Amino acid sequence: MDEIRMEEDSADISGSAQKQGVADAWETVTAALMSPGCPVPEQGLWDSLALLSGEGLGRLLGGWLLETLQMRLSSAVVPEFWAELKQPENELEERGRAWVLLTAFKTLLGRLEPFLGGLERLESWQDEGRGSLCGPGPGGLQERAFTIIRALLLFSPSSVLQERVLEFYSRTFSVYMHQEGQAEDGVEAPEGPEGGVCPGCGVPSQQCWCKEALEQLKELSHILSKLQLLEWVSCEAVTSILHKLIEQRMEQHCRGEYERSFLLEFQTWLELVLGWLSKVFASEAEKDGLVPAPGAPVLLPIYVNMRIEELFSIIRDFPESKAAIEDLKFCLERTNQRQQLLTSLKSAFESRLLHPGVHTSDILTVYISAIKALRELDPSMVILQVACQPIRKYLRTREDTVRQIVAGLTGDAEGCTDLASELSRGDLVTLEMQDSDEEGADPEDWTPDPTDAVPDKMGSKRRSSDIISLLVSIYGSKDIFIDEYRAVLADRLLQQLNYNTAREIRNVELLKLRFGDSHMHYCEVMLKDMADSRRINSNIREEESRLSEEEQPPLALSSIILSSEFWPTLKEEKLELPPVVCQAMEAYTHRYEKLKAMRTLSWKPHLGSVTLDLELEDRTLTNLSVTPIHAAIILHFQDKSSWTLEELSVKLGAPKELLHRKLALWQQHGVLREEAGGRYYVVETGSSKEKMDRGVMLIDSDEERDSNTTTQSEQREEKLQLFWAYIQAMLTNLDSMTLDRIHSMLRMFVATGPVVTEMDVSELEIFLQRKVREHQLIMSAGVYRLPKAN
Amino acid sequence: MASQNQDPAAAATLKGSETGGSAARSSVSKRLQQELMTLMMSGDKGISAFPESDNLFKWIGTIDGAQGTVYEGLRYRLSLEFPAGYPYQAPRVKFLTSCFHPNVDMQGFICLDILKDKWSALYDVRCILLSLQSLLGEPNNESPLNTTAAELWDNQEAFKAHLHSTFQN
Repeated sequence: MDEIRMEEDSADISGSAQKQGVADAWETVTAALMSPGCPVPEQGLWDSLALLSGEGLGRLLGGWLLETLQMRLSSAVVPEFWAELKQPENELEERGRAWVLLTAFKTLLGRLEPFLGGLERLESWQDEGRGSLCGPGPGGLQERAFTIIRALLLFSPSSVLQERVLEFYSRTFSVYMHQEGQAEDGVEAPEGPEGGVCPGCGVPSQQCWCKEALEQLKELSHILSKLQLLEWVSCEAVTSILHKLIEQRMEQHCRGEYERSFLLEFQTWLELVLGWLSKVFASEAEKDGLVPAPGAPVLLPIYVNMRIEELFSIIRDFPESKAAIEDLKFCLERTNQRQQLLTSLKSAFESRLLHPGVHTSDILTVYISAIKALRELDPSMVILQVACQPIRKYLRTREDTVRQIVAGLTGDAEGCTDLASELSRGDLVTLEMQDSDEEGADPEDWTPDPTDAVPDKMGSKRRSSDIISLLVSIYGSKDIFIDEYRAVLADRLLQQLNYNTAREIRNVELLKLRFGDSHMHYCEVMLKDMADSRRINSNIREEESRLSEEEQPPLALSSIILSSEFWPTLKEEKLELPPVVCQAMEAYTHRYEKLKAMRTLSWKPHLGSVTLDLELEDRTLTNLSVTPIHAAIILHFQDKSSWTLEELSVKLGAPKELLHRKLALWQQHGVLREEAGGRYYVVETGSSKEKMDRGVMLIDSDEERDSNTTTQSEQREEKLQLFWAYIQAMLTNLDSMTLDRIHSMLRMFVATGPVVTEMDVSELEIFLQRKVREHQLIMSAGVYRLPKAN
Repeated sequence: MASQNQDPAAAATLKGSETGGSAARSSVSKRLQQELMTLMMSGDKGISAFPESDNLFKWIGTIDGAQGTVYEGLRYRLSLEFPAGYPYQAPRVKFLTSCFHPNVDMQGFICLDILKDKWSALYDVRCILLSLQSLLGEPNNESPLNTTAAELWDNQEAFKAHLHSTFQN
């Protein structure tokens, strides 16, 4: 009560009788302020108040009250509160801790209530017009009082408070969610009722304190909001709980689950959460609607984060994961996470897809899925374009990319079956797209590119989403695909011997729709060759059948006649066929020349297939289908039962290594055996021992299905060779040139035959540097020249 | 001067040799591009040619003196200009490197029948270059442009000495 006296001293300005009156009045008023229940007669109080106001002491009342509050807080209330909260760990039960938390706040409220009551009374007096008592502004004094309380109480809050609060809210949240959610989430309550543990409060059912917890929650919220501490004490805890819960829930429910949409589900769940929140922020909400709407702002980013993280898998699972993509699309429009998505997806591609361990066809499959999924996600195609840049770049470095794509297109590949169906949709490949400015596009529908679009010369209009166009454009040229297709087609046509081209015709027709008639002209000729061959063949056969018995050819020969100009370069292999076959061929050629004047046949003896029967002393092998070289080898053994590799090599005009490999087939069949000195003998009588050996020999199988046409890398070598001739010529005649000049000269003057495709500057530079290293070129001061000695 | 060298057979069907539109020009370009390709693929030693700049109608050629002739070891630069009427009109070919030769004058002009009245649309650049290469070793002394050279030709030793002493690259 010291300060009261002090106040009195300072108020001491008039006579002593008056002084005594003022002192009494002060006493009366302060007592009335601090203890509402005290029975001071109304009239006396009003008189005292009037007296104080008359003396100009009225406005000091507010100051006094705050001062007292502050003193009390720092000397007694705050230490008491913390001490109570930190009560030694004698109570280990969570329930007990909750109780302590609540009691601490209850005591706090009890201690502070007189002051708050006083303040209220003071204000009400002022409102009643009993003098200016608490300074200017409504609630100004209360505001100051709350600030003091917060400042003193939470000046150095112990972590205990934070922990307890967090624990308390988590618990009440789970209790609440359990009670409210039982109806719909009943399924996922992991422990059955007989488990004995209440899913709400996590203790055996007998001791369940769910109800109590909710009561406590209500009470605590009430106290906190009364003390205006709610925001300070609870906000952090509530936010972190929400975050954690949402994340947890998403982890449990949505991770790896792409086949249905979760947004609606979350909406209903969120409404539940909001119910709990409104309990926490009960009183405050009424006041100023402070309840944070956690819906979109909190939930979506968390969801998007997870989906972005999983985007690679989502893409891989497309179209099964369409729901997830749609969710993501919805959210992306509302959160600002495109950049994050791009970065994450790009790095996911790089780490999970673009390394040597992944088969090209798998990369293509994922790329196709990505095209489908991302055009769903972002109709402007910007994400597709940017995120898939690494894939395209990488595919360019794979040798078999084109072959895989073509195989996919023709439906031969195991993996990407999508391509074949895509092809049958039959849209035109819009690679060299014309300026189709006005093409039906309504200017009203124009939307600007998203800001992350790559500014490129293509412009938004040219961003294609067509899968085949995108694949074909990996190399920027249709020709390389058509060449590859031609090679594949040639292989397929040459491997089958029955002239059946129905499927190929369909493919070629579909490709024509894609690439245009002119590009597919060569392929058409190839197909026509097949049809012609069949006709010519049957003609010749007919003619032969009219011959007399002794004129009949010794073996039945059918041919596929290729127009040399239109077929891809076939592998050359030297092979001298046995005379009997040569004669048959000559006869065939002769008949052909009669059918088609001015034309002749040039045989490719190593291509094709021979069906033969082998008669040995004790057994017969029938209907063996082998390559011509196999047949030629075995035919020689008809005349002479043992040959050395050298002799055969001379006879057949083929290299020894090749023959050695081919002989393995007959060894496997147990027809030939190799003996010391590299001699091969016919095994006329097959003993059981021989059969045993065959198993071992199988290792030496030579049935590698060689392609008949030149491979891509061979073509590339050929291309480089051609370029080298041009480069030599230009340097011979123009002395010295820069890299760029060489490059532009090549582009300008190399006639684009079927083999030649573009070469970019860096590729050219690498090539030239190789030539420099090989001393075929000199490079100095930025220009290339040929060495003088030339 | 080119017009008199038209291939009589081609003259009848010739269209747009002088007045021809871009279509004709582009077909000439195509032909020249094809010839360049043929030349590149042929891999002949000692002859070479390439467009001088991005103009396909103006080439620089190079021929090396054939082995066993006095010109062995010498390298000559030529310029080849193709008229719009090519291949029905002969290209204009001249030596850029000064060439001491009975059929080549001091300005580098060449007297060779296939470049004049014997020109045929069937000839091509490769053919011209090979002809010129063989012309070096086998001059036509009947119609010399450089009489000094023609007179000196019979004395191969002296010719060679003079040739090599005056040759400048």
